[in-house]
Amino acid sequence: MSAIEIEGLSRRFGAVRAVESVSLSVEPGEIFGLMGHNGAGKTTLLRMLLGLTAPSAGRARILGHDVASDVLAVRRICGYLPADYALPPDMTPRRFLAYVAAMFSLPRAEAEARAETWLQRLGLIAAADRRLRGFSTGMAQKVGVAQALINEPRVLFLDEPTSGLDPLGRHELLELLRELARDRGVTIVFSSHILSDVETLCRRVAAMHHGRLVACGEVAALKREHGVATMDDLYLALVRREAA
Amino acid sequence: MIRFLWLDYRAALRERKVWFVVALFAYTVLVLPVLLARPPPHVRDAMDTWFGARDPFTLFMFMWTDLAMNKLIATAAVVLAGGVLLRERDTGVLPLLAAKPISLPGYFAVRTTSTCAVMATVYLGAQLAGALYFSVMVEGFRPGTFLAAASLHVWAAVFSTALAATLLVVVRRRGLGLMVGLLALLLLVGMAFIGFYNPAWATVSLLNPISLGVQSLGHLDALGPGVLVPPMLALVGFTALTIAAGAWSVRDMEV
Repeated sequence: MSAIEIEGLSRRFGAVRAVESVSLSVEPGEIFGLMGHNGAGKTTLLRMLLGLTAPSAGRARILGHDVASDVLAVRRICGYLPADYALPPDMTPRRFLAYVAAMFSLPRAEAEARAETWLQRLGLIAAADRRLRGFSTGMAQKVGVAQALINEPRVLFLDEPTSGLDPLGRHELLELLRELARDRGVTIVFSSHILSDVETLCRRVAAMHHGRLVACGEVAALKREHGVATMDDLYLALVRREAA
Repeated sequence: MIRFLWLDYRAALRERKVWFVVALFAYTVLVLPVLLARPPPHVRDAMDTWFGARDPFTLFMFMWTDLAMNKLIATAAVVLAGGVLLRERDTGVLPLLAAKPISLPGYFAVRTTSTCAVMATVYLGAQLAGALYFSVMVEGFRPGTFLAAASLHVWAAVFSTALAATLLVVVRRRGLGLMVGLLALLLLVGMAFIGFYNPAWATVSLLNPISLGVQSLGHLDALGPGVLVPPMLALVGFTALTIAAGAWSVRDMEV
């Protein structure tokens, strides 16, 4: 069984087709890249997979749970880091992680242990009891990553996770994601317009353009098919083919 | 869910606006004896007409309940409930939290309940501080009766908070929602004593939850469970229905 199965998923906002009949599947333990420029429909697709935006048509299942009819079960097994978000300014990272853990009904001791683990792992321990108000973009992004992992998700949706991170933080995050997929079998959907990150991390990718899926497959095969050597060239070739 | 509610209550208590509300209550406690020193003659006459009493404690309780607490719970409710869901949506916190395994109606119910609990905490804190302060400052003050009356009126404060939160999400726009909430609450507060002014309207006025909260003023010499519990239960019911209406209104909200 695929970890993620999407069949003809669409979403319209009035006359705008944000996502149009997208079908794809992601295997368990895979790091799957979702690439496309801003407004291509990546975020809307991810939001539909978490039941945050209702689909206009189509269906999707996450580890067998239907995203429309069984949305709370889907969210229980998923972690999500949105592209645009803010953290509650009056909370500290430690309290915020405890708060999020309580939303998953984790017992207190377990929640505290997991929060401590992620605070350590993401280099946040020194700032764990400081209010989130005034955190730098990179520090806030690390707290965002920690909250997405606090429930030990089996499927992780990351929307532009490396934005705001410095090169070292970016490297550490990509390494962490590889480890999660390799050692814990976490399925990861990595959405980004930073194509070098997608290439570094993902064996298979999907490219979206104006809400439509314009390509889906192994990076190496797609490059061969379009006769290009780099991800940038691959993406440009796909977009130009669509425009033509 | 209980732990989430508890953590949300503690988080809500630490928000800056709570200090503003605490300051409003503290100011009210401090200035009331000053106002009481020279009450306007028409207020004294009204006491005589409405409650058949001219004793200083009845006058004090009217001033405390109507001139101070009723206005304050309307204002404080709007301040405290102003962050429920819409501020989180507008500031970008909600997209993060809405992806967790709790429905939006459930999240609204938890946030509103904890905000109501914050209101109750601040309100009861002010009543306890007031009971100590007024014992020294107000002649003929009866702390037991004062606190018994507060045990009922606090539910009116809780209801006000729930109503402000619900109107905010029904309107869906923060500025307008806060305005509508404040106007609705001031309207209810303005009509709270109508059953005392005109006994013919006494029964109908019980449909106003704020009127239920001030029922103790008609029975200051005989306050007991028979007087306090029925309006308390009615206020709990009104509050639960109001939160349920707010939760229903956000069921299809996209964040």
